[in-house]
Amino acid sequence: MGNIMNNYVETGAIILFGIGFGIMLINNNLIRKIIGMNIMDTSIFLFFIAKGYMPNKEAPLILDEYKGVDAYINPIPTSLMLTGIVVAISMTAFLLALTLKIYQEYGTIELDEIIKLKGESHGHK
Amino acid sequence: MSSVILKTVGRIIVPFMQVFGIYVVLFGHISPGGGFAGGTILGASFIMTKLAYGNDYCKKKFKFQKLLTIATISILFYGIIKGYSFITGGSHIDSPSLPLGHPGNILSGAYIVPLNIAVGIIVTITIYFFYSFFDEGEV
Amino acid sequence: MGINSFPLLMILISYILGFLGILFYKNNISRAISTITSIILVILSGFLLKYTISNGEFIYNAGHYTAPWGIELLIGNTEAVFAFLFSIIFFIVNWYSFDSLKKEIEYKRIKIYYFLTNILIGSLLGVIFTNDIFNSYVFIEIGTLASCGIIVIKNKRDNFLATLKYLVLSSLGSGLFLMGIAFLFSITGNLNMSAIHREVMNNHNTYTQVILVSTALFTIGLGIKSALFPVHTWLPDGHSSAPTTSSALLSGLVIKAFFYLYVKIIYRTLGVELLEVQYIFKVLLVLGSLGMIMGSILAITQSELKRTIAYSTIAQMGYVFFGMGLGNKIGLVFAYYHIIAHALAKSILFLSAGAIVNENGNKYINRVNGIGKRLPIELFAFTLASLSMVGIPMLPGFVSKWNLASEAAKTNSYFLVAIVLISGLLNAFYYFPIVVRAFFMDSEKEKSDTKPLFNINRALPIILLSIGLVYVGINSEKIINIFLSGF
Repeated sequence: MGNIMNNYVETGAIILFGIGFGIMLINNNLIRKIIGMNIMDTSIFLFFIAKGYMPNKEAPLILDEYKGVDAYINPIPTSLMLTGIVVAISMTAFLLALTLKIYQEYGTIELDEIIKLKGESHGHK
Repeated sequence: MSSVILKTVGRIIVPFMQVFGIYVVLFGHISPGGGFAGGTILGASFIMTKLAYGNDYCKKKFKFQKLLTIATISILFYGIIKGYSFITGGSHIDSPSLPLGHPGNILSGAYIVPLNIAVGIIVTITIYFFYSFFDEGEV
Repeated sequence: MGINSFPLLMILISYILGFLGILFYKNNISRAISTITSIILVILSGFLLKYTISNGEFIYNAGHYTAPWGIELLIGNTEAVFAFLFSIIFFIVNWYSFDSLKKEIEYKRIKIYYFLTNILIGSLLGVIFTNDIFNSYVFIEIGTLASCGIIVIKNKRDNFLATLKYLVLSSLGSGLFLMGIAFLFSITGNLNMSAIHREVMNNHNTYTQVILVSTALFTIGLGIKSALFPVHTWLPDGHSSAPTTSSALLSGLVIKAFFYLYVKIIYRTLGVELLEVQYIFKVLLVLGSLGMIMGSILAITQSELKRTIAYSTIAQMGYVFFGMGLGNKIGLVFAYYHIIAHALAKSILFLSAGAIVNENGNKYINRVNGIGKRLPIELFAFTLASLSMVGIPMLPGFVSKWNLASEAAKTNSYFLVAIVLISGLLNAFYYFPIVVRAFFMDSEKEKSDTKPLFNINRALPIILLSIGLVYVGINSEKIINIFLSGF
C-alpha cells in the first residue's frame, strides 16, 4: 500500500489507462470510443512524464548559466511524449474523419446499428 | 458561426496570434516551444481567420493545392536537411556542416532553426486542414 | 558513404520520394516515382544482403551521436533477408498495380495510393532495421496509418467500417505497446534495445513482476498488429475489402514486419534466458496452434474468395507463432522461413484472386467456374501457391511445415505434430475446391468469351512471384543457413 501511495501519479495513470481501455472496448458509440482512446493515450503520457519528473528540480533550459546535472529534471520522457502527442493527434484525426464518412454512409455512429444495417444489405446473397 | 463579437474580436487578435506563433517557432531552441507548439498556435490563427472572415474569403486566400505544395516542400526540405545530417554523421564524412553555436543566438543553432521553421509550416497547414475538413466535410 | 549507410538511405529514399510524388500531383509521375523507389530499394537491399552475408551484422548510428543518445540501426542477416524480400514484393506488387488500380479506385486517388505505399514500405523497413524501441513505436504508428490509408482508399461502405475496426483495434494495440515501453523505460532508463537488454540482465531479480507485465503488454499489443489468433478480428474485413494490391502488401508484408519486431523485443530486448519470458512461449504455442486450426476452419466457411484467403493468413500466422513458441532457435528459423514462403505465396494468391474478381465482376467463390480457361496464367500461379500452402514437396510451404512438425516431435508432444498435419490438410479443403471449380467446371456464360485473356502487366508480376516461390523452395537449405549463421 505504501508503494501505491508513494507513486500516486503512476497509480493514477494506470487507473486512467484502465478507464480509457474499458471505454474503448465497451462503448458502441464511435465518438465515445475515440474519447476512450484519447484518455488511454493521455494516461500513458502522464506515466512517462511522471517517470522523468524529480521534485525540486527545474526544466532543462540553460539561459544564463549551467547549474550542473543535478539541477534539472530528466527531459527524455517529456520529449518522447511530444512525439506521442503528435501520433495521438493524427490517430484521432483519422478516426474522426472515418466517423464522419461512416455517418454520411450509414446515418448513425452506433456500431451495433451499423452492423445490423450491413447485415441487411448483405442479406440477399 | 456568424456572431458579431467573434468577427470583431477575431479580426483584432489574429495578427497577435500569428506574431506569438512565429515567436514560439523561432525561439524553440532556447525556451519552451519549437516547431510543433508554434505551428499549432499559427494553425489556430488560421482557423480564427476562417471563423472571422468567413469560408469564401479563406477559400480564395488559402487554396488547397497551394497549401499542400508548401507543406510538401517543407517536408522535403526537412527530410533532405535531416537526412544529410544523419548520413554525414553516421558515415563519418567530413563534409561541410553548420556550426553548433551558443545559447541566446538564434542563427547559430546549427540545423535547429531551419528545421523548426519547416515543422512549423507543416503543423500550421495540417491543423488548418483538420479544421476545414471537419467543418465542411472536405478540405 | 559505404554500404553500411544503405539501410538509413533506403528509409529516407522511400519517404522523400513519396513526398516528391505528392508535389507533382499527377498520376503518371507518382507511379513512375514509386516504381523508381522500388527499383532503388531492390538494388540497395541486394547489396546489403550480400554485404551482411560476408561480413556479419553491423550497427549504424544515425546522426552524430552514438548509442545511448542517438538512434541505432542494427542490421544482421535476418534483417537483410527481410529487407530484400520486402523490396522485391513491393516492386512486383507495384508493377501489378499499373493496370489493376484503374479498375478498382477512383482516378484522382491513384497518386495518393502510390504516396501511401511509399510511406508504408519506408516504415516497414524502419521497423525491421531499428534498434531503438521508441523509434520502432513511431515507425509502427506511421505504418498503421499508411496501411489504413491503402484500405480506405477504395472509398466504399465496407472499407470505412473495415478501416475503423482496424484502426480502433490497432490503436488499442499501440497503447499497450507504449505502456510496455513505459514499464521497461522505468526499470532500465534506456530506449536502446541492446542497452535495455544489458540492464534487464543485471537486475531482473528485483523487477520480475514488471518484466512479466511488460512482456504480456508487448505480446498483446504486437499480437493485435500481427494477427495472433484471438485478436485477429480486424484482419478478414480489412484484407478482403482493400484493393487487390493493398491486400497483397498488407497480408504479405505488414503483419510480418510487426511479428519480426516482436521477435526482436523478446529475443534481443528482454532476453529468452529470463524465466518470465519463458512463460510466453507456452502461450504462443497454444495460440499459434489454435490459430492454425481455427483460421483454416473459418476459411472453409467463407463464401467470398478474398475473405477465404484473408482467413488463411490467420492460419499461416499461426504457424509462424507456433515456430516461435517452440522456444528454440531452430523453431524460430523455420518461422522466419515460413514468413518468406507465406509472403510470396500470399501475394500470388491475392494478386490472382484480384484478377479473378475483376474479370468476373463478382467476389463469390461459387462464381469462379470456368475462369481457368480465361485466365490460365493467373490460375496456374494460384494453384502453385495453394499447393505451397498445403505443403507439397519442393515448394517452400512443405519445407517449413515438415521441419516445424519434426521440431515439435522432438519435444515428444505428438499432439502438436498432429495439429500441424491436420492444419495442412484443412488448407487443402478450401484451396482445392476453388482450383477445381476454376479449371474443371463449365461457366454459366456462353462459350464465346472463353478465349484466354493476356495482360502483360498482370501476368508477368505473377509469373515472377511464382518463379521466386519455386526458387525459395528449391534453395531452402541455403536460406536457412543464412538465418542460422545470423545467430
